[in-house]
Amino acid sequence: MARIDLDSVRKIYPGGVEAVKGVDLPIEDGGFVVLVGPSGCGKSTLLRMIAGLETISDGEIRIGGRRVNDAEPADRDIAMVFQNYALYPHMSVRQNLSYGLRNRRMARDEIARRVEETARILEIDAFLDRRPKALSGGQRQRVAMGRAIVREPAAFLFDEPLSNLDAKLRVQMRGEIKQLQRRLGTTSVYVTHDQLEAMTLADTLVVLNGGRIEQAGRPLDLYRHPDTTFVASFLGSPAMNLLSARVSGGDLRVGSLPLAARLPVPDGPVTAGLRPEAFRLLPDSTSGAFRLDYVEELGSTRLLHGHLEGQRLVCQMGIEHPLADRMTLDLDPEALHVFDAERGRRLDTAWQRAQIRSLA
Amino acid sequence: MQTKRTIFHNRWLPYLLLAPQLAITVIFFLWPAAQAVRQSFLREDAFGLKTEFVGLGNYLRLFSDPSYLNAFQVTAVFAVSVAALSMGLALLLAVAVDRVLRANQSYTTLLVWPYAVAPAVAGVLWWFLFNPTIGILPYALEQLGYDWNHNLDGTDAMILVVIAASWKQISYNFLFFVAGLQAIPQSLREAAAIDGAGPVERFFTVVFPLLSPTTFFLLVINVTYTMFETFAVIDAATEGGPSQATNILVYKVYRDGFVSLNLGSSAAQSVILMFIVIALTFVQFRWIERRVQY
Repeated sequence: MARIDLDSVRKIYPGGVEAVKGVDLPIEDGGFVVLVGPSGCGKSTLLRMIAGLETISDGEIRIGGRRVNDAEPADRDIAMVFQNYALYPHMSVRQNLSYGLRNRRMARDEIARRVEETARILEIDAFLDRRPKALSGGQRQRVAMGRAIVREPAAFLFDEPLSNLDAKLRVQMRGEIKQLQRRLGTTSVYVTHDQLEAMTLADTLVVLNGGRIEQAGRPLDLYRHPDTTFVASFLGSPAMNLLSARVSGGDLRVGSLPLAARLPVPDGPVTAGLRPEAFRLLPDSTSGAFRLDYVEELGSTRLLHGHLEGQRLVCQMGIEHPLADRMTLDLDPEALHVFDAERGRRLDTAWQRAQIRSLA
Repeated sequence: MQTKRTIFHNRWLPYLLLAPQLAITVIFFLWPAAQAVRQSFLREDAFGLKTEFVGLGNYLRLFSDPSYLNAFQVTAVFAVSVAALSMGLALLLAVAVDRVLRANQSYTTLLVWPYAVAPAVAGVLWWFLFNPTIGILPYALEQLGYDWNHNLDGTDAMILVVIAASWKQISYNFLFFVAGLQAIPQSLREAAAIDGAGPVERFFTVVFPLLSPTTFFLLVINVTYTMFETFAVIDAATEGGPSQATNILVYKVYRDGFVSLNLGSSAAQSVILMFIVIALTFVQFRWIERRVQY
């Protein structure tokens, strides 16, 4: 077990493409950090740099306080779970698990003990002598995890390990990974493009965009207090509504509709962010500003898709609420996020900070 | 593999479409094969004036003939040497290409050129290079204190034909090995690297075992090649000599039949070769076509 430190880490590929543009990230011992972002944001590259599968163009990576920039992957005391599992197809499950230990010339009885224990933890003891080909997707996933656990490394690296599983299995394995990491207390770095996976697994959530950290922190802090429109729209499903708005004299209007008053924000164009579940719509057939286009039933809740002053707006509400073609917004001004219209940065305000503190 | 199924309404059309292929097979393969089988039971004098049925006489004589048994042994040494040399070098080149130049087309194309060279030309080429009088390699070897003469020394002659036959085959093997290597997921090697295996260990414990279907396929192909298609190499380089040292089975068929005009014996030898081909084909269909898949 160890902490991992990334100091202004950069990756520049031959040809000049800069995939990672200076990332600083301290990872506590025993922490579970999830790197999330759209494809091409540099999250996998960053993970592979920690693993030693990509060279580090600039900056420094330390594992357990030791600089590992030039260390071989085998000498970094890390284990990695790959997206396609990367199980050795010509070896049995037992051989797959013990391969890394045998390469390190570990005593035979110690290998046997560790393999048995790992197999017991992951409940794969029944098929230790099978080849990976004879296993289901979920079982292969467990063996891939087992190969990491059996080594008892300083850190686990996960590269989108659940993306090849079906939806139901993914939820189950997600829970198991979380429990296992708690139980073993091993520092973990997990890469995914799935925001739900990221929210549920992370102690620390790192949102990457274009090779830079957009925002890092506890998942709920990021959800409640996104620094940028990118983070706001990336986390949460359905995504946050982002409306073009204008502030004049502290009053925020979308089109001609006033949404909030006395905001401590300078005048000018802004982006107003509204979580779909953070407001309600009330039927008002004469003066309702929201025009309902269609409804998606999710079972316990429903999604109302429509327009507000010509801009698309989604609202998530309980199924008990009445519907109408025209509706008005029932909005708590504190649920409103205000971003700079040009750069997408949060126009941070005292009242919003106070709100965060009270929620935390 | 998905097969396309066509339904013919005309009863004779399918046969008509198959006819050219069938005709070629019958005229150029089945008929000569039948002729060889028939001939192998007969003894004929060199002028074709007298023919006598001898039953299995030709076969029995072959298996008590030391020069035929020698040809078997020579063929085995030749086949194993060529397969080992050409596949070993091809694998080495393929690994080098795979490591350094992932999918570098021009380099790969250059390596494939020798395959386009006719076997006879390859034989002559190496014969020149190794010519004891004018060749450059014997001169170089002489500087090192080795007196090369494949016209007198059986081992030298064998080495010469092995090199000539392998050289041609390397490019073919190389292509298959490169394709096989590229089919191995990169993540497997990365996983092995993280699991503490060095490059050499990685190759022998992960890469080579995963290449085994390709290797086995090439082994059969190469053995078939050395047994039958190297006729021209032998003919151009050594003509089976000196003193039978490079007289492989297929070359002996030709010598005995068309030079010595011992047609019965030659026919019996080709029938034996035919059975060897059938056995190799069987091996290929039985184990390779049912490819090992992971």
